[in-house]
Amino acid sequence: MHKLKNSNNMGLFIFFGFILFLISNRVDELRVYQGASIAVFVIAIASIILLTGYSGQVSLGHGALMAIGAYSATLARNELHLPIVLSFFIAVLAAAIGGALLGAAAARLSGPYLAGTTLALAVGLPSLANQFSILGGEQGLTFDVGFPPMSLGESFTQYKWYFWISGLAALISMWLLSNILRSRYGRNWRAGRSNEVAAQLSGIHTGRSKILAFTISAGIAGLAGALLSMTIGTVSPSAFPLALSFSLLTGAVLSGVTTLSGVMIGAVTLVAIPEIADVVTNHIGSSENITTNLPGFMVSTLLIIAVLFVPNGPVEAHRVRSMKKLAKKKVNALTKPSMEGNT
Amino acid sequence: MMFQLINTFLIGITAGSIYALMAMAIVLVWRSTRVINFAQAGMALLSTYFGYEAMVHMNSFWIALPVAMLGGALFAAIIELVFMRLLVKRSSSGHIASVAPIIATLGLLGVIRAVTAIIWGGQDVRIIGPVSNFGYTLGSEVLVFSPLKLLILLTVVVLVLLLTILFQKTNIGLALRASAFSPEIARLSGVKVDLVRTLGWALAGSAGAVAGMFQTVNGNGTFSPDSIEFSLLLVSGFIAAVIGGLESLVGAAIGGLLLGLVISFVLMYVSSSLFFIAPFIVLLIVLFIRPQGIIGVKADRRA
Repeated sequence: MHKLKNSNNMGLFIFFGFILFLISNRVDELRVYQGASIAVFVIAIASIILLTGYSGQVSLGHGALMAIGAYSATLARNELHLPIVLSFFIAVLAAAIGGALLGAAAARLSGPYLAGTTLALAVGLPSLANQFSILGGEQGLTFDVGFPPMSLGESFTQYKWYFWISGLAALISMWLLSNILRSRYGRNWRAGRSNEVAAQLSGIHTGRSKILAFTISAGIAGLAGALLSMTIGTVSPSAFPLALSFSLLTGAVLSGVTTLSGVMIGAVTLVAIPEIADVVTNHIGSSENITTNLPGFMVSTLLIIAVLFVPNGPVEAHRVRSMKKLAKKKVNALTKPSMEGNT
Repeated sequence: MMFQLINTFLIGITAGSIYALMAMAIVLVWRSTRVINFAQAGMALLSTYFGYEAMVHMNSFWIALPVAMLGGALFAAIIELVFMRLLVKRSSSGHIASVAPIIATLGLLGVIRAVTAIIWGGQDVRIIGPVSNFGYTLGSEVLVFSPLKLLILLTVVVLVLLLTILFQKTNIGLALRASAFSPEIARLSGVKVDLVRTLGWALAGSAGAVAGMFQTVNGNGTFSPDSIEFSLLLVSGFIAAVIGGLESLVGAAIGGLLLGLVISFVLMYVSSSLFFIAPFIVLLIVLFIRPQGIIGVKADRRA
């Protein structure tokens, strides 16, 4: 890692962690499980925000990269019997390597070409599980992180353990990301996004910078994939459908692709959607078609609405609005006395 | 061995001609509005369901096909009129202006998929082809090549020719090319650019509808958002269009045929589970070796 500036917000993240710890002791099992899912989505959406919002590349292949992470972690755990932390680390590494390869192709492409290429990957990669018997085919493999340590007490449940692991992972990766984005690399990405030629003129190797963005983003996505398979206990091709990549993109757009700080909005929405869909289908009397497809419908509709009406995300929209208000106030304050002076 | 080779080739050519139609739909939209329509396969799906409804009520493929084409064209035109114009107006500036159309068409794909699954999902949706899908016999052996596959091939060839003539030889084609090349100048010379764009989408919509109908009858006669047939249409249209260079209709047709052949040979001679990853690998190879496509002007791919 190069120089990480402004790392003084570490205290803030530790504070967040403490709050999360307090919450996890108060709420029931289902909420704790949803908390774990939110943490997983926070990590995955952050990886998209880094890639799309900061380096200007669209990826629909992050579902596939998550699958790489999930399978590597599972294999490391089942075949090599590595400790959990190490198998998560391997997930990050494997997905990052995959991302670097994809990024090398991606650096030569942009916009629709990249989107299409990653789309083809997302459709194609999960079916590889049927090609190699070690990956367990359609059934997949079980991924077991083990029971929570005894030292945490008798009443400490499995779901709470998942929540702690994924919450901690989310905090660490958000802290790392927010620092990377403020470093030289983050500035290089933003420069390349807003004007590639100008960035090259000022000495930034935009191709290399894009590959780096893709690699880091993929590594984080791999971590999210490993955590996802931890919370569901298995890893299989059906856990990483094209719809997952779509959901992540929706989450990122809802959060505002250019601001990391909105990431919770997207993550909470994605976890809330199935529950809202449940409520709706209970009200209008459900057929099976509606029950299975309503969440997908809501995700896609939200994506369209967000792109049309808050293309830069609610956080950015709010910031712009309050800046305008502030500017107006200042102008008013400046012009009033002078007008009185004139009369 | 020889026999198997011929069969593989014929399967590949037939599947490829359907991908070619999909690719041409994508090229039509790209050339008229500079947008890659990732929802094209979704539109094809919806049009196929229109065709299915016509099939249920009229019981004739030759009525169902035009109904699907007309429905597809209308739907695409409405999408362009209502949705894409609003999109251009709303998000032509800002940080994600360049990726907004991509994200929007993906959202559209998701909505169409979900809506069709809600309306038609779970039913046995079946479309029967107009002629038999039993292969011709060659001596004592039965070829996989059937009257149906011959019909598909011929129809696609005719459509490719018609669209190419429309694009290259008529005033409408000139207007289409002009509005894509330079909307401002086209407008100055009296071309109704907005109308022409809608027309481009409509043409693409009906080409996609034919692809959807043929993909259905060429497979096992069923079609659904979760089927392999649909996923293949989704990726293969884009890949074939890129192989062909994204600018040329003929290129798209060639790209489609090539892709069909590659998938068919991989399926027969390498491994059946590489079926889905093969298109991706083909795409990567093309992008690395000849990024401007088979038929394409030398320019970089940073559209």
